[in-house]
Amino acid sequence: MSLLLLAPALLLVGVVFLWPLLRYAWLSGHAASVLTGLVPLANGGANWQRLLSDGRFWQDTLQTLRFAGVSLSLELLLGLALALLLHQPLRQRGAVRAAVLLPWALPTTVMALGWRWLLNDPYGPLNRLIQGLGGSPYGFLSTPATTWLFTVLADVWKSTPFVALLLLAGLQTIPPELEEALLLEGAGPLQRLWRLTLPLLAPYLLLAALFRLAQALGVFDLIQVLTGGGPASSTESLGLYAYLNGMRFLDFGYSATVMLGMFLLVLLLTSGLLLLRRGWQGTLR
Amino acid sequence: MTGWFPPLPNPARRLIAVVLAFWLALAGGLALARARRVTVGVLMPAPFADATAELVQQFNRDHRSVQIAVSRGPLDTEALSDLAISSLLLGDAPYDLLLMDVTWTPKYAAAGWLEPLEPLLGDQALAGMAPGAQAGNAFAGHLWRLPLLADMGLLYWRTDLMAAPPRTTTELETIARGLQRRGAVSWGYVWQGRQYEGLSCVFLEVLRGFGGQWLQHDAGQAPQPALQSPEAIAAANWLSGLVRQGITPRAVATVSEAEALQIFGAGEAAFMRNWPYAWRELTRPGSAVAGRVGVAPLVAVPGEQAAATQGSWGFSLLKGSRHPREAAEVLRWFTSEAVGRQLAIRYGYTPVWTSLLEDPSLEAALPLLPALRQGLLHAELRPLTPVYAQLSDALQRQLSALLSDDQPAALAMARAQRQSALILQAAGETP
Amino acid sequence: METRRPQAGEADAAMSGLELQRLCRHQAGRALLEDLSLQVAPGEVLALLGPSGCGKTTTLRLLAGLDPVSSGRILLNGREITAEPAGARQVAMVFQSYALYPHLTVVGNLELGLEVRGMPAAQRRDRIAAVIDLLQLQGLELRRPAQLSGGQRQRVALARALLRQPQLMLLDEPMSNLDAQLRDALRPELRQLLRGSGHPAIYVTHDQQEALGLADRIAVLHQGRLQQLGTPHALYHDPANLFVASFLGRPAINLLAAEAGRQLALRPEHLQLVSQGGLPVQLRQREWLGAQQLLWLESSRGPLKLLCGADQTLEEPLEVSWRVDRELWFDASSGERCRLGPL
Repeated sequence: MSLLLLAPALLLVGVVFLWPLLRYAWLSGHAASVLTGLVPLANGGANWQRLLSDGRFWQDTLQTLRFAGVSLSLELLLGLALALLLHQPLRQRGAVRAAVLLPWALPTTVMALGWRWLLNDPYGPLNRLIQGLGGSPYGFLSTPATTWLFTVLADVWKSTPFVALLLLAGLQTIPPELEEALLLEGAGPLQRLWRLTLPLLAPYLLLAALFRLAQALGVFDLIQVLTGGGPASSTESLGLYAYLNGMRFLDFGYSATVMLGMFLLVLLLTSGLLLLRRGWQGTLR
Repeated sequence: MTGWFPPLPNPARRLIAVVLAFWLALAGGLALARARRVTVGVLMPAPFADATAELVQQFNRDHRSVQIAVSRGPLDTEALSDLAISSLLLGDAPYDLLLMDVTWTPKYAAAGWLEPLEPLLGDQALAGMAPGAQAGNAFAGHLWRLPLLADMGLLYWRTDLMAAPPRTTTELETIARGLQRRGAVSWGYVWQGRQYEGLSCVFLEVLRGFGGQWLQHDAGQAPQPALQSPEAIAAANWLSGLVRQGITPRAVATVSEAEALQIFGAGEAAFMRNWPYAWRELTRPGSAVAGRVGVAPLVAVPGEQAAATQGSWGFSLLKGSRHPREAAEVLRWFTSEAVGRQLAIRYGYTPVWTSLLEDPSLEAALPLLPALRQGLLHAELRPLTPVYAQLSDALQRQLSALLSDDQPAALAMARAQRQSALILQAAGETP
Repeated sequence: METRRPQAGEADAAMSGLELQRLCRHQAGRALLEDLSLQVAPGEVLALLGPSGCGKTTTLRLLAGLDPVSSGRILLNGREITAEPAGARQVAMVFQSYALYPHLTVVGNLELGLEVRGMPAAQRRDRIAAVIDLLQLQGLELRRPAQLSGGQRQRVALARALLRQPQLMLLDEPMSNLDAQLRDALRPELRQLLRGSGHPAIYVTHDQQEALGLADRIAVLHQGRLQQLGTPHALYHDPANLFVASFLGRPAINLLAAEAGRQLALRPEHLQLVSQGGLPVQLRQREWLGAQQLLWLESSRGPLKLLCGADQTLEEPLEVSWRVDRELWFDASSGERCRLGPL
């Protein structure tokens, strides 16, 4: 009976999630590209073998991890600060919250174009400012060693509001008298944050981290528009590499393999986060 | 029937019967006519759709049985490709005709998405077009595409800063350095250096100008990349040298067509490499350089012929079209001389027909015509292979590293050579 | 402090206990508390009693330092704490919801406050052991709040407050979340605990039973103003106004129809059934309360409730009477008590 009630949900999960996954898994065992006229021909583990020895895949994996790790950390940190700020009784709280959410509401491509203009060398506002201060324009998007930082910056700008809002919702579930009780016990703001707010906010922090980690590991459109993966592929993500192989090279077999590699990475890291939570809850019991 | 029909005198009954029969016949005829009316769906980037809108309206008025329905796609070449490929992958294509970039043809043909045109249009469909415009439409023994307009790389120069455009690479450097030293311009030469297809186009032109080739076709052998040749390394060196010397801004690693146009259009550069469309933007009233811009062939080393990368747009017939004959008819009309003339006069589109290219009466509307004619004579096609996107991507990666990361040219080209060889080898091995 | 001129009644109370001087709290143009002055002696339990919104919780929050005072002063053991931050006041509070930290065990809840104050671990252990003994929390040390019953939570909250050895104890309806039986059991316990601390305690409640049973003195608040301050006995038998008279006492006091601008109030237990010479009444309803019964009567001066022994027999015709010294007279328009006898 309960299985029957669950059936629609299971069906939805199956169609929306499992089916594409199975299809990718199947495709990754085939050569399916322009060279085969898009007809899938079984090629054993050739795609996987290629993936293991594909230096570009591993370089993109490291670049994706770097992007996700740094932007996730910054977003959690800034998101928490923003949430704590918005949690204070402010005048026009509704309007302030709406304004803060604006970057999140903006379509990624529009946002990325905006950042491309902002970081333009030498006409972007940022470089004009630098020039106005007597400096020489900086190649924000043309310096392989640092360009990834600016993709992180754009991502942080866009996604911090989302994290902040999620954490704000979490803050609002904490009864105010808990903090008042600790205040009466003589705890300072940092002690209250560390000993009370953060532990109670942990489930929300974890949720935000899970969401953002999965999203950041799959980053595509932001990078595609902002840098196109350049310069010298220094900002290329796994998502972009999978896209290149699929939509540009029409090599769907290998694209599916890259996609699955990316999926395994997401799975590994998110389940790592979940295990971390279990361990953390265990120590509290 | 008689029981239901009210009693009427005989003549009245006859009259009613005649009127009824007449109406039935009329309705049936109209339905038939509508059934025979065929709508041909065309997907093209929005600017092309805008430019051809009036002509399409005229076509739809003049033709009863065939109607054209234009879908406006995104302006960006890759975005249009993504849209087209997504709908093609879903199977039943919602369009009959697709306006394609020249580099897509072998890929789409190999994917089995295109219908060969010669059975519908005959073997002579390209006859009468400039040779530079004819190239790139046939692949593997079939004709897949007819060009709507020609496109090629051009050197834009400032007529107020020099008497004549440079012809060699050294001349360009000397003039640029002189002007920069005088403070007349901030930059000498701007071109497309962002990691994208435009960079491959720029490099191909320089490569040819240094006497090199992208792929080497030896008789009886599969084509091999020739990116590690002394000419190719010299070409790469020249490009990175422009950046090192400050003739080209370091920011070139982020520059696509629009950014180049922005810098040159602001009067801050002596030279620019761009496509013909830039002319209209630069001569528009209010442009900072209006009346001070000339167009010339790209530069080469002495003794070599400067080449212009060919980048045309053309129509292909998609497999699965329900009305291939009517679609072919529309395709022939779109690429006809008459439409080409209108588009050249109204929008400055480069015609593909020799008769138009050599028509002096068009020069008033299209001052660039002699330069375009000249360019088409030396148009250089990018490698005609289904794996072109991979080859270009491998080259862009290394060139981008060369320009942004101070990678030595010899190293960058050695890597590009090795990766290109692997791509071609894999392509040769697959059954 | 030295420059201020001493006021009447202040001289001896200034040194110990709690003193509130003309305390006011306004928020967004609304007066939540108006001009409250009172004193609580060490070891005394003062109940703040009143309906919701009367200002009793506001007072508590001002004393705790959770809300700013608009005007007036608070003195604790002779020290002015009006502007002192909450954490520095040495004031402990038991919240209505108990405000136990849900992520910590019972010991964790007790320990956190001591820890943030930097008390050494050994000393913390001793203090916690003592308070666990006092409140009989043995065996619950490692439970989380969610695993405790309501009564256990209340004891933990109390333990946490006592642990701090505060100079002032504030309790905000600490028993409102408990069932009646548990409340009856805990009341004497709590009373003993608060008395024994040797510091003033303020107990906020809207339950008169609790206030009457627990407090040494009661302050009745209504619409932000103090109505009357006194012992439970004084408030019950000698109410200062109609509000106090009708708020205290269950079943509620009888209000007889006003005559000549004055209103007579009589407690139900002060009415007696007589066979003649009284006010004729009709019986509407009888309510059995076990040892007593409550009669709902109708008279020419309005409806009356009468409390009498459960075995009292009823013989028609019914008449009620009362002793004149039980009469409570109020000004019908102001509600203030009239000290004069009947006209």
